[in-house]
Amino acid sequence: MGKARHWLATVCAAAVLGAGPAAAETLNVYTAWPESLSQPIFKAYTAKTGVQVNFIRLSTGELIARATAERNNPRADVIWGAPGDGFAAAKEAGIIEPYRPPTWDRIPAELKDREGYFTAVAKNTLVFMSNAKLLQEKGLKPPTSWNDLLDPAYKGQIQTADARTSGTALTRILSIYYAFGRDETKTFDYQKKLHQNVQVYTKSGGGCTIPAALGQAIVCIAHMPDAMEAKKKGYDMVVTFPREGVAAVIEGVALVKGARNRELATKFIDWTFSKDMQDLLDKHQVYMLPTLPDASIDAGVAALMKEAKLLPVDLVWVGKNRKRLVERWVNEVIKE
Amino acid sequence: MRRDPVVAPAVLLVWGAVALFVLYPLGRLLVLTFWNDGPSLDAVRGLVGDWTHRAALVNSLLLAALVGIAGTVLGFAFALLAVRANLPRWVSRALDAVVLLPLISPPFTAAIALIFALGPRGLISYHVFGLTRVSIYGLWGTLLSETLTYFPIAYLTLKAVLANVDANLEDSAFSLGARRWRVFRTVTLPLTTPGVANAFLLVSAASLADFATPLILAGTRFPVLPTQAFLQITGLYDMRGGAALCFLLLVPALAVFAGQRWFTERRGGTFVTVTGKVGAVTRVKSLSPAAVLGLAAGCGLVVVLVLVCYLLIFAASIVRGLGADNSLSLAHYAHVFSGGLKAVRDTLLIAAICMPVGGLFAVVLGFLVSRTQFPGRRALEFVAMMNYALPGTIVGIAYLVAFNDPPLALTGTAFILVVCYVFRYSLAGTRATSAVLAQIDPSIEEASASLGARRDVTFRRVVLPLIRPALLAGMTVLFIRGMTAISATIFLVSLDWSLVTVRILEGITNLELGQASAFSMVVIALVYLAVFVASLAMRRLNAGSLGQAGTLLGG
Repeated sequence: MGKARHWLATVCAAAVLGAGPAAAETLNVYTAWPESLSQPIFKAYTAKTGVQVNFIRLSTGELIARATAERNNPRADVIWGAPGDGFAAAKEAGIIEPYRPPTWDRIPAELKDREGYFTAVAKNTLVFMSNAKLLQEKGLKPPTSWNDLLDPAYKGQIQTADARTSGTALTRILSIYYAFGRDETKTFDYQKKLHQNVQVYTKSGGGCTIPAALGQAIVCIAHMPDAMEAKKKGYDMVVTFPREGVAAVIEGVALVKGARNRELATKFIDWTFSKDMQDLLDKHQVYMLPTLPDASIDAGVAALMKEAKLLPVDLVWVGKNRKRLVERWVNEVIKE
Repeated sequence: MRRDPVVAPAVLLVWGAVALFVLYPLGRLLVLTFWNDGPSLDAVRGLVGDWTHRAALVNSLLLAALVGIAGTVLGFAFALLAVRANLPRWVSRALDAVVLLPLISPPFTAAIALIFALGPRGLISYHVFGLTRVSIYGLWGTLLSETLTYFPIAYLTLKAVLANVDANLEDSAFSLGARRWRVFRTVTLPLTTPGVANAFLLVSAASLADFATPLILAGTRFPVLPTQAFLQITGLYDMRGGAALCFLLLVPALAVFAGQRWFTERRGGTFVTVTGKVGAVTRVKSLSPAAVLGLAAGCGLVVVLVLVCYLLIFAASIVRGLGADNSLSLAHYAHVFSGGLKAVRDTLLIAAICMPVGGLFAVVLGFLVSRTQFPGRRALEFVAMMNYALPGTIVGIAYLVAFNDPPLALTGTAFILVVCYVFRYSLAGTRATSAVLAQIDPSIEEASASLGARRDVTFRRVVLPLIRPALLAGMTVLFIRGMTAISATIFLVSLDWSLVTVRILEGITNLELGQASAFSMVVIALVYLAVFVASLAMRRLNAGSLGQAGTLLGG
């Protein structure tokens, strides 16, 4: 009857569709970076070596979940461009293996995992981005201190990420923690006060960028690339830093355990940490700080970074305390 | 009837397919969650101390119930207006077109458009009414957005059902001296019970599975389970904890399923309105002009809100950068038709395969569960609903866990995407089929059987034409979901198959609002085209009239 026929049809269709092109040298990459940032870099590699870089873009959490579910039969060779906390989780899940590129010794200690499981391709920072028009309307100066954000004038006008999302929110909590002299009590007291002014906690790291750009909120606390993208698109945003400092977090790269194309993967990682590639971060306006000290830096970012006080983060401490910090946030800051 | 040579193999085939593509993956995930060198409850240990998880179970039930009720009522109002108000043909077609819009909302666009319209600086809230202290985040915003998104499913189901309520029955009541309201209350409404129950089921289950809308609109004050599960997996990298939360979601899903059955059976009796006897075609007069006006005003308001949201998306697609540089530009469409063309083609192909396959699966399943008797019938009904009521994230991960290794290494192919859609989104067709079949007198099929036709011939020649509106509704929903789904597919898309929704999500995360909007507009145009072609094809396939139930443009 009809059933049998339609199954046959599906199977046939699948057989036809499933047969993809088979390239000779192809590297499979999972990345959390937007296509606009990652693709130019991957293309540059293809142009240089002829190796095709196939990539899928996923959010950090989806990326780790997917790679974990595929553990017995990995589909990706390299995880390239995702926040450090994701790699800590990947290390714990046993889906990545240690690999040290030749330039390993030139990479600052705070930008790599001690055992070599992951290494930072770039450094990312937190910023305040404010809607210039709304600031003017309310007669406010752009915030330059964490305490500025507690001004009642900002009530219901701040958006930032939910602590249970990856990356951005953790950077915020760490920034506050380090800015308040590693005093956890002060850190959480501050966040409770800040909570009074928060309109909504977005569930994606850069989720507040569009609302702030379009005037649904005045201030968005997010990562540097979000703010620079918004400015580049022509939105009138003011980017500032809290003078107490912000945490610098890493965007990492790691070799997938049991990668099918291990040799291609390690070569790609070697190239990632060469000066050639590190210079591309500036050339393609990734708006992050390169890992190699001698690589070039985007002029706009460099100018901004002069005002920034970057607080180094202890990755080991973060790995041990991340879950607890998030739990405290859920049970103390947002519980009413 | 019971010893039919065709039914038993068909039941086995459907059970087999459902077992392989619903039970097997979820079972693998269940083992992964609760088995760690032995039975283990590690996965839930971290969850119990968190107040948001406890609140989430209650909130999810509340939200599903409210969305179910609101969506069904709204769908019913629209269906009444379309089928019972004697609207001019072009008006009902326009109504159809607008009602379909919210369903074609690619991930996040509806919620974001709603913020643009009703947020603190929204077009309607601020620029029209001058309100500055609007709160769109929380229960009300989520409820509004989900109701707007899912009421079209109720509309499609109820329209097919209402159209089958013979106006002659209402006429009889009129001639006995009943007033309009009484006729509506005691004749029309009771006869649509199966449709109402199924519409409620579909809408509330869709709400249970939806994590994207609350992700944007619920905020921290109104946690719901699917979003909690999503955060547990993607934010805290706790796949097992997230999976455990998702399995908890089966509780409200079961509640909705039981509620739907209770509602139908409480009414008892028969809902048959389609019999072999045909009365003279009578003009529908069950709605007074005042009622039509009231309905039109209410529905009109909703239509305006929907149109404003989609005009905002359209506006974003034709300017350089909404809010920053409002000069007209076709650059975003140029991007879609250059770099994005492969994604459009792949998506279209997959959705086009899903439409007939899933449509047929839906009606066969709907027919089997409502017209034949076999052991495990209720269980099959519920199992077939599970993938629909679970958040896509978990369905995607379950598929990945189950189908990544030999002997069933399906990941990386288009086949797995098709299978995922078919078993996740056929439910609308199945439930619409059940609802319509409840109205059709089984004696019609018996007549065919007594004339010597086999069950499959009867199914093809008698049943299929009668339930065509349900099939069309099911295929429409399937195609739309195939074009717009993302949550499960993000785990299943491969390097060879890129999908439009992935590009839309990409656009939104990358501040490329214009590109995301342009892709959305292209998706909308393609869906309309597909539905139009499908209804033309249906018309050619069978010369019979669809009557008032013709869906969109065709009909």
